[in-house]
Amino acid sequence: MGKYLQTLILPLIVITLCLLVVLAGLALLGYPPVAIVTSWCEGAFGSPRALAAALVKFCPLLLSGLAAGVAFRCGVLNIGVEGQAILGSIGFVALLTLGMPTAPGWIALPLGLGFAILCGGLWAMLAAGLDRWRQVPVVLSTILLNFIALHLLGLLLQGPLRSPLTTAPHSAVLPTFQRLPLLMTNTSLHIGVVVVVIIALVAWLIQSRTTLGFELKACGLNPNAAAVAGMPVARRQVTVLLLSGGFAGLAGGIQVAGVSFFLSEAPTNYGYAGIAVALLGRLHPLGILLAALFFGVLDQGVASLEKDPALRIPHDLTDIVKGVIIMAMLVGSAWLLRRQLQARE
Amino acid sequence: MDASAFITQQTLTAAVPLLLAGTGELVAERTGTINIGIEGLMLTGCAAGYITLALTGSGALALGAAVLAGVLLAGLFALVCVWWRADQIVTGTALNLLAMGLTATAWMAVQNHLATTASLSPFTRLAIPGLSELPWIGPVLFQHYTLTYLLGLLLLGVWFKLRYTRAGLILRALGDSPDACAAAGVNVRLWRTGALLFAGACAGAAGAYLATMRTFSFSPDMTGGQGFLVLALVIFGRWTLPGLIAGALLFGALDALQQYFQGMPLARQIPYQAFKMLPYLVTLLALALLKSKRGGPAKLGTPWPEDRA
Repeated sequence: MGKYLQTLILPLIVITLCLLVVLAGLALLGYPPVAIVTSWCEGAFGSPRALAAALVKFCPLLLSGLAAGVAFRCGVLNIGVEGQAILGSIGFVALLTLGMPTAPGWIALPLGLGFAILCGGLWAMLAAGLDRWRQVPVVLSTILLNFIALHLLGLLLQGPLRSPLTTAPHSAVLPTFQRLPLLMTNTSLHIGVVVVVIIALVAWLIQSRTTLGFELKACGLNPNAAAVAGMPVARRQVTVLLLSGGFAGLAGGIQVAGVSFFLSEAPTNYGYAGIAVALLGRLHPLGILLAALFFGVLDQGVASLEKDPALRIPHDLTDIVKGVIIMAMLVGSAWLLRRQLQARE
Repeated sequence: MDASAFITQQTLTAAVPLLLAGTGELVAERTGTINIGIEGLMLTGCAAGYITLALTGSGALALGAAVLAGVLLAGLFALVCVWWRADQIVTGTALNLLAMGLTATAWMAVQNHLATTASLSPFTRLAIPGLSELPWIGPVLFQHYTLTYLLGLLLLGVWFKLRYTRAGLILRALGDSPDACAAAGVNVRLWRTGALLFAGACAGAAGAYLATMRTFSFSPDMTGGQGFLVLALVIFGRWTLPGLIAGALLFGALDALQQYFQGMPLARQIPYQAFKMLPYLVTLLALALLKSKRGGPAKLGTPWPEDRA
């Protein structure tokens, strides 16, 4: 238990410091700090509806955190979670609206979400293939694929996926029977939240109890040592991109199935958010679960700050918090690692 | 102006920000640091430049503010990656996120206080006397903003410095063997910090160019991935300045052709997203064809001193 406690201390220090810094910055700009805190708490915890909304935000954050986390842990810097999530949402909507518009939810949803996972995974495979056969760095190819995915979405929304009923470039809206069922009436809390928690637990089991999980970790810690030990390093790096893209694709699919119900060009920023979640969770599935919960609550609270007529703080504030937390976690974990190395010598 | 002159001139116009930010990033990467937050630095330069211009009306102040903003954020990157030795790629993503948040928040805060925002550029194109009256060549090459001519000088200076001076030798050696540099008495961290700050200044200036000389406006997504194209161009040019220039001109030409064809009746039936996707697709294909990993600085992205695990 002592090990887990130690792992928790760094993220908690980082969160506290970052929130204090951001609050101080807002105070310097003339916003009243007390009002911000009360309004934020009200927005995040004030009502069952608010809590449900925070949990709904937690859902894609957890999946994109797992996507970034599994890849980073194996030493593969997948910056393309954004694009892979877009492909997932495209796959989901394309299958449901074009392929099976009348199929009942219990058939359409599992198939659609499975297809979303496949599309996200295959999009990440492009980067894996380019790395393996053409030596294009994964970092760069995944970034470029993000933009290609974004414009591909725009292109499809002008063409085959566009709903004839709207003037704005939107896809058709999912019928009620093809949406994820709600857990609580009068809230937006959908069943996907339970599904993603189970997925995170399974990811934890695979990572800590199977050969595959061990190999992925070993490849990340020291690829040379892993290769000497006879592990197929290059193949594992491909596996991990497939897994990472799958998580991302599911994030995109679930968001459409449970929250937005149609596709639009609205930006999501899953990619960067996922990196923040993964690092705050120290690349561990259970840590990522907690970190996603934190960011879900944070995002929900900040969203209400924007709506508060007395404050009007833009929701982009969460980007600042996420950026600062990523840097602080990087510096903190690098420092911890070096201290451990020194202690060993 | 005929079509060929229009396209050539637009090529240069579109290549300027890529070249400006690319030169800085190239120098930084030669010292062994890779900053994928260039996109964020450019965006911050856009915001700082445009807001300063709208508030003060002074072009020099706007450019200065953009450069300063780029240097400050690059300084943060240097602190985290060079001095505290955190992972450069992931810090770069954090820098992008930070820049997106900061610019959007600042823009929300000042947007309503700016009086008139339309067409307030104090920058005028500088027509070089005599040369600018030459047929075809004149309007294409000699009627640009001062910054563009300065960029020409900068490129020449950086090229000469990297190739023929002791400082250039140190900069190039830092990326391949920081240990050897340290043994020769070079302060690795200071040099890397300097290179990163230079890259920040260049990216900030590129942002100012985009916001105050190219579009006369600001929007929170205005860089639209150009910073990432810059990263690709440095690899594309194999970390050499002539290669970078060739790549940037190629992309400028792509952009100019797109503008030219978009105006034609036939092209209006093609959605604009297809044109927007093109540069990224072409970059990816070019990198795939080039087998690009070779030729980079050996220690690119590795913190110094390295840990013995």
